[in-house]
Amino acid sequence: MLAISVTDDGQNRLPEQSEQDPSTPRVLSILSVVLERLVNRNEILSLSSGGGVPARLGKNLEAFHGVRPPAITIAKYLDRIYKYTNCSPACFVVGYVYIDRLVHRHPGSLVVRLNVHRLLVTSIMVAAKILDDVHYNNAFYARVGGVTNAELNRLEVEFLFMLDFELTVTSRVFESYCLHLEREMILWNGTTTLKIERRIHTTNTIEDIAEIPIEEDMESFSSTLSNGNGGLT
Amino acid sequence: MALAAPGQLNTTESPAWGSRSVDCFEKLEQIGEGTYGQVYMAREIRTGEIVALKRIRMDNEREGFPITAIREIKILKKLHHENVIKLKEIVTSPDGNKYKGGIYMVFEYMDHDLTGLADRPGMRFSVAQIKCYMRQLLTGLHYCHVNQVLHRDIKGSNLLIDNEGNLKLADFGLARSFSNDHNGNLTNRVITLWYRPPELLLGTTKYGPAVDMWSVGCIFAELLHGKPIFPGKDEASQPEQLSKIFELCGAPDENNWPGVSKIPWYNNFKPTRPIKRRLRDVFRHFDRNALELLEKMLTLDPSQRISAKDALDAEYFWIDPLPCDPKSLPKYESSHEFQTKKKRQQQRQQDEAAKRQKIQHQQQQQHSRLPPPMQQQMRPGPPAVPPMHGGGQPQLVAAGGGGPGHHYGKPRGGPSAGSSRYPQGGGNPSAGYNHHPNRGGGGGPYPPPPQGYGRGGAGGGGGTSGYGVGPPNYSQGGGGRGGAMGGNRGQQYNNNNTWQ
Repeated sequence: MLAISVTDDGQNRLPEQSEQDPSTPRVLSILSVVLERLVNRNEILSLSSGGGVPARLGKNLEAFHGVRPPAITIAKYLDRIYKYTNCSPACFVVGYVYIDRLVHRHPGSLVVRLNVHRLLVTSIMVAAKILDDVHYNNAFYARVGGVTNAELNRLEVEFLFMLDFELTVTSRVFESYCLHLEREMILWNGTTTLKIERRIHTTNTIEDIAEIPIEEDMESFSSTLSNGNGGLT
Repeated sequence: MALAAPGQLNTTESPAWGSRSVDCFEKLEQIGEGTYGQVYMAREIRTGEIVALKRIRMDNEREGFPITAIREIKILKKLHHENVIKLKEIVTSPDGNKYKGGIYMVFEYMDHDLTGLADRPGMRFSVAQIKCYMRQLLTGLHYCHVNQVLHRDIKGSNLLIDNEGNLKLADFGLARSFSNDHNGNLTNRVITLWYRPPELLLGTTKYGPAVDMWSVGCIFAELLHGKPIFPGKDEASQPEQLSKIFELCGAPDENNWPGVSKIPWYNNFKPTRPIKRRLRDVFRHFDRNALELLEKMLTLDPSQRISAKDALDAEYFWIDPLPCDPKSLPKYESSHEFQTKKKRQQQRQQDEAAKRQKIQHQQQQQHSRLPPPMQQQMRPGPPAVPPMHGGGQPQLVAAGGGGPGHHYGKPRGGPSAGSSRYPQGGGNPSAGYNHHPNRGGGGGPYPPPPQGYGRGGAGGGGGTSGYGVGPPNYSQGGGGRGGAMGGNRGQQYNNNNTWQ
């Protein structure tokens, strides 16, 4: 059901972005490191179980599986979502909370290469809907995320029901996840203490937003994504 | 999540939401209908319990799961209070059709809403009754605020009342959590215009529970006064709304509201001449304690405005006549009856007819005395919100861009062509969550606005019989309720459309 045409050159076609962009929130790099490790661990786990990935995963996250792992890295994918949707940095933390909740609610479901991208775009979009008074619609997130509008809508419903609509993240929980992510980072590189941005985005006034040249951005996406080669598969 | 008390297990907890089918309920009657979908009165087959089923409309593909529904569900999931509407569960269509919109919210059933009740012909609330409703409203709101939820759309039609006299806050589609430490910026496009506080009208994006308290003050005054006190004309007219407020509450300045001059639109909207506060004078016929409390609610500076908690401690609630016991209140006839249905059908037929006419571009000629078609009026004037569904425009949630105002049930009014909110005779159904398509009497034969436009405001034909400026307009004018102020009231429904 998720068999979309497979691509090998998707990565090259996605807009590149400088990794050193100082305006990029730190939470993105932390989250990508944490998720990369999680995925790697889970991949090994599922292989060592001998049954192959699907058997190990159970049916729970099936809706989020692609037919093959997307070529774009988690880091680039997160950057991309942030760059184009301009959602609050806090949305990435809350999105992570949701994914964590989902996995705990449904034991046996593993975040792996096949599903991590779809889980991310869905969770961050839902987080933005909850947190940001101004945010993009599903159609926009779908284009950014490289899935179809219809699929993203399905994933959203699936996601909400799997979470049993348990979407509240108290500031205490939020803070504890920030600390957790920061600690993971210290364990990883041993040195820098990267502090996660807690802020919720300024909701620009309407006038401000009207000035953002969204249309042009959309154009450049659609040329890369809508030809069927750039999307997730 | 709520933890069970020691020795008490959560064994009665219902199954996961969405796991049950809507077939567990027998739909009895459609009680509401709007652009967001339908609301049904239904009976749970196993228990016989009467509930309200609100269908979540999913056919706007670009928006996905409606933001108003997500927020309402999320918030109602954590609020459990006798004065807050209870969301019992979520059910889906049996054919696994949830992706196509077979998703329903199951609410406890309520018979009326405050506006509908107040609009019943001949209805007059007693002092003890008003106190009873006000206390319940404040108790529910205090609970929300303690739980860091701003309602952001307090108005009579969102206060549901059952036949036990219980009042519950409903429609959390615009609500959101706030946090004292986050200090994030929020949209100022919330709260129906008539009940919107001055700080939002002046464009602030940092606000808190005080916004809801202003709305409560407006409702309080409306109950005492017999009609809305700030009936601004339409959504595009923030300056008008502000000037109405200034005329009654005085103009804000750095003395009575420190910091007001730094609010974004203050310089655009500040009055050109000093205006004195006249609230006490205009409402001098009110009971002293009522006026005292109203003064504190309708305080311009949000930081000085009374909180829900302090309002509950006000003298007003503790002297005779005391708030009555909800159960002692009269039971009003149920609203979901044949007459209502019939009226709705008529309305629908009229709507259909209007649609056909529209297609033929004949509408204006044929109804030259009625207001122009919707599209022309819905252009928001600055600083209103642009249409939401264009291309990649970010969606401003609270301004109803998503379309469906997930109200507890009521479609936000078919636009009424300025007709009376107080029909003379002939039972205007008092609404519960529902019958508002018929409200406003005959209504203009205009179909509801296209979804997503966010701005209501057809109609407008009704005389905004200016709550002008002077005391005469406020005067109690002998019993107040009745067709006489219909023109005024018709306007309110235009405003209701704001969120459609």
